[in-house]
Amino acid sequence: MENAPAIVQALVAPLSIGLISAVLGALITITDRIVNNYGDLVIDINSGKRKLEIKGGAPMLQTLAESGIFVPSACGGRGSCGACKVKVKSDVGPHLPTEIPYLEKEEIEQNVRLSCQIKVKDNVEIEIPEALFNVQEFDGVIERVRDVTHDIKEVYVKLPEGKEISFSCGQYGQIEVPPYGKVRAPTQRAYSMSSPPSDRNHLEFLVRLVPGGIVTTYVHEHLQEGQRMKVIAPFGEFGVKDTGATMICVAGGSGMAPFKGIFQHMIETGEIETREVWYFFGARTKADMFYLDWLNELDGEYEKFHFVPALSEPQEEDEWTGPTGLITEVLASYLTDQIDRSSPLEGYLCGSPGMLDACMAVMRKFDMSEDRIYFDKFA
Amino acid sequence: MKMSPEYAKAQANMQPGVITSDGFLGDDRRPIVEIIAEDESKMEQLHVDFDEAAERMHRLLDEGRKGLGEPVTVDGRWIVQVYEARGFLASPFEDGIFRKVNAQVSVAENGRPGDLQLLYSELSLHLMEKYHFLQGRGSPFRLEPHRIRDVLFLQNTLK
Repeated sequence: MENAPAIVQALVAPLSIGLISAVLGALITITDRIVNNYGDLVIDINSGKRKLEIKGGAPMLQTLAESGIFVPSACGGRGSCGACKVKVKSDVGPHLPTEIPYLEKEEIEQNVRLSCQIKVKDNVEIEIPEALFNVQEFDGVIERVRDVTHDIKEVYVKLPEGKEISFSCGQYGQIEVPPYGKVRAPTQRAYSMSSPPSDRNHLEFLVRLVPGGIVTTYVHEHLQEGQRMKVIAPFGEFGVKDTGATMICVAGGSGMAPFKGIFQHMIETGEIETREVWYFFGARTKADMFYLDWLNELDGEYEKFHFVPALSEPQEEDEWTGPTGLITEVLASYLTDQIDRSSPLEGYLCGSPGMLDACMAVMRKFDMSEDRIYFDKFA
Repeated sequence: MKMSPEYAKAQANMQPGVITSDGFLGDDRRPIVEIIAEDESKMEQLHVDFDEAAERMHRLLDEGRKGLGEPVTVDGRWIVQVYEARGFLASPFEDGIFRKVNAQVSVAENGRPGDLQLLYSELSLHLMEKYHFLQGRGSPFRLEPHRIRDVLFLQNTLK
């Protein structure tokens, strides 16, 4: 009992600190509720096409999502991708320093804003592409995960029972991974759908491991079959134009994704038998190549479909006899003497910004019109 | 060690969720001036010069970009793969914004990427070059001095 005062003293300090922290925490929560309570507000979208009754105080991106309107965001609302632009027709204050780097001069003049950076504090009118009304959130289940190369996984997601998705080839979805390790919040990233639109109960994605990447690391190291995964889709305007022009398609790595869906769709519709398609796919070694058998089969089966895989650094054991060099060099070579340039040509590209710029430079050199070159810049 | 207001602001910007979800400090709780001082000392002990390392990393990044997203062998010694993502990251020192471009430099072993690797971004290279800030322990983009030396073959370059 002689030690009791010492024990009590030892407990008093941490208990007091804990109590004070709890009181302060409660005060902060209450103050936040009062100060940031902007009451019931209305977001008017596209001049009354949709009117959302919402609680004010939260960022617009989050508020819209809570009402089922999903604006694309490649960084999950952290203000680092510049994708979540909306045109705001009401006064929501001046542009923030965090928005300026992502906006063109004309966009600033038109009051285009990053919806993750502005809070809804009053009734507000906005304009967004109407295609976003079609975007849905799905609580999917991972039906299959498989390696297609040493650093690319094919992820096949089953949509919830009774739910279907309608999308066009070339569009993308945002997948969300849960907190793990030191990552404290759910994180979303955008990936092109590689499944065809006819598969309305599933979505497939190709995910390449990016060192240090939060979502790709999760997919490669933790994702299990049977696990739930949130998917928001469809987004994007990339897709095949209904012109009948010869398609010059170029991709590398997981840039394969939209083309897999596009070619499957063309098989289903029969377009693959009537439309000239050239598909250039670049990789470093044979170990980085995938779907080779399937694409070679298409090349053999359909007269108008031409598959041109190229390796930039083939290894001896690859025993590679196909084209070598950067995909841009191979593309230039085929545009010089293999592809009929008297017919209209359209470019379809999927890859990194550097790859797209390099391919566009080649296509321009061969007089392909820039407004007929369509691309999907990832990620 | 006293921090200037500029460095104190940078330290605040380096916390998780401010610029990147992970931040720049990992598990390191020290003031950034202490992190910088310790790494400067380590680099000196290893005879590695910051400017020379940065110059080589810039060159490898430029060479890696030529692979258009695929890995590229550089000088027969390194395999470099450059990854680009949409958007920008602001410098925590508020002295510029940088594209989300990462380079993974691997020492080549029989034509394949070996285990000895260095991962850096345009931003982490800037922080190293201008501020000698190699990021805190446990940060995903922490540049360990001995790894810089080993991957870049920079032994005994400091005169």
